[in-house]
Amino acid sequence: MFNLDCKGVSTIKRIQKLFIHINGWSMLTFLFVLIVLLPNLTILLQLFSEPNQNWEHIKTYMLQEYLVTTFIMLACLGVLTIVIGVSLAWLVSAYDFPMKRFLKWGLILPLAIPPYIGAYTYHGLLNYTGIIQTTLRDLFAIQVNQKYFDIMNIPGAIFIFTMFLFPYVFMITRAFLAKQSASIIENARLLGSSSFEIFFRIVIPISRVAIVGGVSLVILEFLNDYGVVKYFGIQTLSTAIFQTWFGLGDLESAIKLAGTLMAIVLFLLIIEKILRGRKKYSSTTTKMRPLQPIKLTGWKAGITLFYCGGIFTFAFLIPFAQLVIWVFMAYDAVPYQEFLKIIKNSIFVASVGSIAIVIIALVIGNFTRLNNGLFSKISEKFVILGYSIPGAVIAIGVLTIFIGLDKFLRSFYDLLGINQTLTLSTSLLLLCFAYVIRFLAIGYNSIEAGYAKHGNHYTEASRMLGMTMTQTFFKVDLKLIKSAVFSAFILSWVEIIKELPLTLILRPFNFETLATKAFQYAGNEMIQEAAIPSIIIVVISGIFIFFLHYIMEKE
Amino acid sequence: MNKNRLLLGLVLLLTAVLVLSACGEKEQKDNSAEGNQNAESGVVNLYTSRHYDSDNELFATFTEQTGIKVNVVQGDSDELIERLNREGEATEADLFFTADAGRLFRAKEAGLLQSVESTTISNNIPENLRDADNQWFGLTKRARVMVYAKDRVDESELSTYEALTDDKWQGKVLIRSSENIYNQSLLASFIELNGADAAKEWANGIVENMARKPQGGDRDQAKGIAAGEGDIAVINTYYFGKMLHSEDPEEVKVAEGLSLFFPNQETTGTHVNVSGLGVTKHAKNKDNAIKLIEFLSSEEAQARFAEANYEYPVNPNAEVSDLLKSWGKFKEQDINLTKLGENNAEAVMIFNEVGWK
Repeated sequence: MFNLDCKGVSTIKRIQKLFIHINGWSMLTFLFVLIVLLPNLTILLQLFSEPNQNWEHIKTYMLQEYLVTTFIMLACLGVLTIVIGVSLAWLVSAYDFPMKRFLKWGLILPLAIPPYIGAYTYHGLLNYTGIIQTTLRDLFAIQVNQKYFDIMNIPGAIFIFTMFLFPYVFMITRAFLAKQSASIIENARLLGSSSFEIFFRIVIPISRVAIVGGVSLVILEFLNDYGVVKYFGIQTLSTAIFQTWFGLGDLESAIKLAGTLMAIVLFLLIIEKILRGRKKYSSTTTKMRPLQPIKLTGWKAGITLFYCGGIFTFAFLIPFAQLVIWVFMAYDAVPYQEFLKIIKNSIFVASVGSIAIVIIALVIGNFTRLNNGLFSKISEKFVILGYSIPGAVIAIGVLTIFIGLDKFLRSFYDLLGINQTLTLSTSLLLLCFAYVIRFLAIGYNSIEAGYAKHGNHYTEASRMLGMTMTQTFFKVDLKLIKSAVFSAFILSWVEIIKELPLTLILRPFNFETLATKAFQYAGNEMIQEAAIPSIIIVVISGIFIFFLHYIMEKE
Repeated sequence: MNKNRLLLGLVLLLTAVLVLSACGEKEQKDNSAEGNQNAESGVVNLYTSRHYDSDNELFATFTEQTGIKVNVVQGDSDELIERLNREGEATEADLFFTADAGRLFRAKEAGLLQSVESTTISNNIPENLRDADNQWFGLTKRARVMVYAKDRVDESELSTYEALTDDKWQGKVLIRSSENIYNQSLLASFIELNGADAAKEWANGIVENMARKPQGGDRDQAKGIAAGEGDIAVINTYYFGKMLHSEDPEEVKVAEGLSLFFPNQETTGTHVNVSGLGVTKHAKNKDNAIKLIEFLSSEEAQARFAEANYEYPVNPNAEVSDLLKSWGKFKEQDINLTKLGENNAEAVMIFNEVGWK
């Protein structure tokens, strides 16, 4: 790295920068950020609106208590997912033990199960008519105290969220450790550090960006969740939002609450950024090689397998088996003719949405890492805001903008001979756009971690050697972060295919996805029937996860 | 090698752009095709919060008989109301269909529905089950009743919703969260019948007698009885019917251990709610929409409609299913269903104040 100490030079450089960076990249970034910002702004601006008569009631009876619950759950969830996600990522990257090859991708599989489906399956498993209690009753004549089998409480919800969300931390951290850390860790090993020392003094600090990226996804996903908390009867901030909207019929106050939520998230993200400060860990050598795993044998291998396998069992195997059992109960109770079309619909929107997310994340990510200006810092935070807000609220923001756009384009539609004002807002474009707003955080975080892993040295070298930013992007950057691009794609794809609230409200006429079909049954407490679309979601996402994992490994 | 990668990147970008635009374009074509169809054989566009496969089968029958295609968007009622609201005059929806009178009232209040004149509909649907201005019409009825443990509770011990607040039932009552619309409408009806203070007292009394913190759906309350957590649960009739016919043999077992009780027979009557629909204010296919309502309220459709979901038909001439017959006739609350909507917000506030989760 070169250092410019001389003030004059740096000023000149700054001016140069201004001109250099008004190019395609900054324009595109500006455009994308603007697009993403608009729906979020419609929500955030409500913060400054005058409170109405319901606000006092909301404050007294909802906010205080709900906020406490939300923060307790947030803290527990953060700690648990970090502990589980990072420890698994480390074990899988640094050691060899039986079944590791399978667990490497098997531990991402829980992402294929939407948390609300997970909640349904666990409750179905543990409740009075569930398989565990039935077996105890029928075979052993044991009547159990319901208290010990009750999962519908705060610890139960934390369990559900931890099990189905930790893969975010696991996946992003592992992708980072797999390639990045070899030389540092091997040096530490040579210098005689113990495994624990390496883990706490090296692995955690160097993978900080990845861990934060993963855990912020977990936290955002928790904050926007309404399915699990509603089913379990737990009062969190998102319950308050929906009670205000549906119960009191006061959308204005509901959006105000959502704005509050958004502000809190923004605050947390900025705090983290400040705490991280200027610390950057990126590789300085050109020789990037994979970390050489140490082979574990005997009881060490046994314990490691027990731990990793145990998590896999709770987070995937058990709920999956339960779904399979339900499918066998209800296989003749649903109309199948339409399922092929529903599957096609799901795959189509998931693919379009995630390609758009990856492209936008690449552009914005590339811009923000190379620029330290205010705009770059702000845009970086704003792009992921959409993920913190319950889908239904985002939907309202997106809808408002599209209807406005449609009214604006009315005369243009007339030219085309379309006699319908709501053309865009009754098209799939609306839905795909909403997915981008909502899940950009997912793609962005993993691409950001990918960029961070390699630092800017290669890019700077390439630029020094006379390549343009665009050439550098395609010839250097994109190749370096290929695996990050893939994980961004899988993650957003899997998110979209299980997405519910946005799809429900923004879909065109007669457009069903697997998630809406599952909701149709689950909403009617027909959980066995709901298992059929659910299991298709899980299997398709599972295949996808495996396929992309395979590509990443090969590379 | 490098060039290949560059190419790959470009191709990827290009496909994405193409797919995205094609996605928009394809839809436009679909829509304009629909627009043309509009003029010829006709369509009717429906926003519905009901989610039963049986509804779709009925729509298919309607299409067969009339040639009118039924297009559906399914969602949560409040979200659909908001979507209608934002779409305003431009909306493509002709009908709004939801499973609660309170929500129908809310849609009417927001000026999203319009009055409709049709003698067929008036003949099919009794007056108390439709809006005074004919802006919405009930199509199926469900009662919010009690189920109790056959082995622990005698029917003679039961009388009214109000009696559930007696000390006798302390720690025995199972009922779901106050977030649920069925509970909100129940309390709204009490506000109408007994006044806000009495309603609050009732809610408070129930909270004190709850067997556990509210959790899960109506079926979970029934299972709570079987598990011995409580003795009485308040649930909607059709959930009981569904449990008796569940795919899961264990659920059937639970339901068989329970009996159904229609409360308040000597006093104000059992709480009844409807699912119903109304023509949207800016409907583009109003005539077709009316035809669909006429069809759905006809004797033939009503019997199928209600039976599939163990609900009561609103058309007095329609056949009630055998299961419902076996439960017998009962006295219904005699209030205008609009009141459920008017009192909804107040009900929610009372729930919050008494700490009904």
